[in-house]
Amino acid sequence: MSSNKINVGRVVANPQLCREHYRLTVRLAGFAQAEAGQFVHLSPTADMLTEYREFSTSGSWDGAGWLRTVANPMLRRAFSIAGMRAVGDDVELDVIYRVVGKGTSWLSRLVSGSSLSVLGPLGLPFPIHSTKPHAWMVSGGVGLPPMLWLSEALAKVGKKAIAFCGAQTADLLAVTMSGERSPRADAANATLSAKEFAASGTPVVISTDDGSLGFSGHIGAALTAYHKAQSCDADDLVVYTCGPERMMAFVARFCFDRGIECHVCMERSMACGTGMCQSCVVPVRDDDTDGAWRYRLCCREGPVFSAEDVLWESPAMAK
Amino acid sequence: MNDSAITAAEVDLTVDLAGLALRNPVMTASGTSGYGPEHAELMDLTKLGAFVTKAVSVEPRKGNPPERIVETSAGMLNAIGLANDGLDGFAANKVPFIESMGTPVIVNVVGHSVEEFQTVCRRLDGIECIAGVELNVSCPNVADGLEFGTDPVRLRALVSAVRGCVSRAKLIVKLSPNVTDVTATARAAIEGGADVLSAINTVVGMAINVDTWKPMLANRTGGLSGPAIKPIALNMVHRVYRDVAKDANVPIIGMGGISSWRDAVEFFLAGATAVAVGTALFVEPTTPIRICEGLREYLSKRGMSSVRDLVGKLQ
Repeated sequence: MSSNKINVGRVVANPQLCREHYRLTVRLAGFAQAEAGQFVHLSPTADMLTEYREFSTSGSWDGAGWLRTVANPMLRRAFSIAGMRAVGDDVELDVIYRVVGKGTSWLSRLVSGSSLSVLGPLGLPFPIHSTKPHAWMVSGGVGLPPMLWLSEALAKVGKKAIAFCGAQTADLLAVTMSGERSPRADAANATLSAKEFAASGTPVVISTDDGSLGFSGHIGAALTAYHKAQSCDADDLVVYTCGPERMMAFVARFCFDRGIECHVCMERSMACGTGMCQSCVVPVRDDDTDGAWRYRLCCREGPVFSAEDVLWESPAMAK
Repeated sequence: MNDSAITAAEVDLTVDLAGLALRNPVMTASGTSGYGPEHAELMDLTKLGAFVTKAVSVEPRKGNPPERIVETSAGMLNAIGLANDGLDGFAANKVPFIESMGTPVIVNVVGHSVEEFQTVCRRLDGIECIAGVELNVSCPNVADGLEFGTDPVRLRALVSAVRGCVSRAKLIVKLSPNVTDVTATARAAIEGGADVLSAINTVVGMAINVDTWKPMLANRTGGLSGPAIKPIALNMVHRVYRDVAKDANVPIIGMGGISSWRDAVEFFLAGATAVAVGTALFVEPTTPIRICEGLREYLSKRGMSSVRDLVGKLQ
């Protein structure tokens, strides 16, 4: 009945990559086979739940337990898996995150050897087994991490992949650039200039909103410019995207207008990550349901959705 | 160790909820583990005292737009909006799993009129595998826009009307904390014919985004749960027990911020016969098992043979 979906992991490393971004590597004894697009749900180990053997009347640990929820997150936090590999009988997985609040502040304070609770793998992965030879990954900001792992998976199945990576500024781009950092590049060519993507032989097109690195403008504009310069037959291409919702809506529209298959990796606030709390809803087309739409759970029925199913303009998006 | 020492394994955790026998006093709280299958992936549900489902209404409901939850200090706000498949969908899609669950199942019921509550409860009373119905009275009546659960007169009328439709299953009324005097609504529920009271539902609250000046929840307000509300819940359980339920011999299911055996013991001492775990399940789905283990150890170390001997023993 019960599974091994919840494991205690040990922090291997947690270096800062660039402004506000970190890469957490966790080692786990038990972790099921996972695929790119799936996510993990992290929390401090539940000391207040496991230290039941201590019951001095002083209540010292109990008080500490509750205080913990003030300084640290109470609920788990969901992160796309950015990479995963076998290490002996164990598994190491990477999570790349940007510090934006209580949960990610807690993560950034973890040092090597710290423990944390890892629930996962959760959610549905990116579908990668189509017959289409070309795969373009379009990410904005901290939508980049799942694309790192996806690029490895795409390389393994022999796709010709390109990673389009956008950030607000150069120092918010969580990849290591090699060679000259040429600002104001056009978006007509993809190069092996980002070390993490180059590892899987994946060229990149970089854009920054302020033009401090790569193409000057948002990543949707870079995608449009590249597509214009290097036309790719719609029937030969799959687009994967992850990032801010407005950016994904742009990419979804771009693909829809051109008849290109597109998969989006969505983000929602979620409490449980497993379908119990019903909080992480995304409105999708469903002709069988009243009003021809219904909510789907980002945690179980996502986070990867077919872009044309998502009702981007619906008030039920409410972002 | 003296001769009368009781081992943790020997401790009796069974409790009686108005005739419903539970193998232990730790249940799930409605809305925190769906209708079973999702939770069963993470925990053996036969280890529960009872399982309480998410709400069921007559018609299907899509629920509120996101954001539906936000974490607050030592708690969370939720405004899911009672999303569910409706009564027919529940009967067709959820009941088969419930039949196989191997633990007593209580179905949470919500309605926007007395008739809706009656329709759902009448149907559920006829489904053998459902041990009880729990009325969620913290929603507005479409007839007057007022919550059933905040006015003793309306609440008594509702419970009394539903009582006529429920003969086999236990009738549980979940009390709202958003009232001036919880003993008045507790008394009304008992007068209406409730077999069991559960307390408390979530506390109405709000969180605001200082960048956008908008509420964090799309519904603007939500229900606060988690450790933040435990003192409120304990006080209400105790007042209901002391002033109303004890003399009426009506058991209380205590809930609100419970995540450890220690929390559970506090609720028993305050007067609860059983407890329910809600928000903690989102973090650690096996919390009920851990609480039972802790209770066994606590009771055995105090030389107590039964959890029932803790109920209402607040000095």
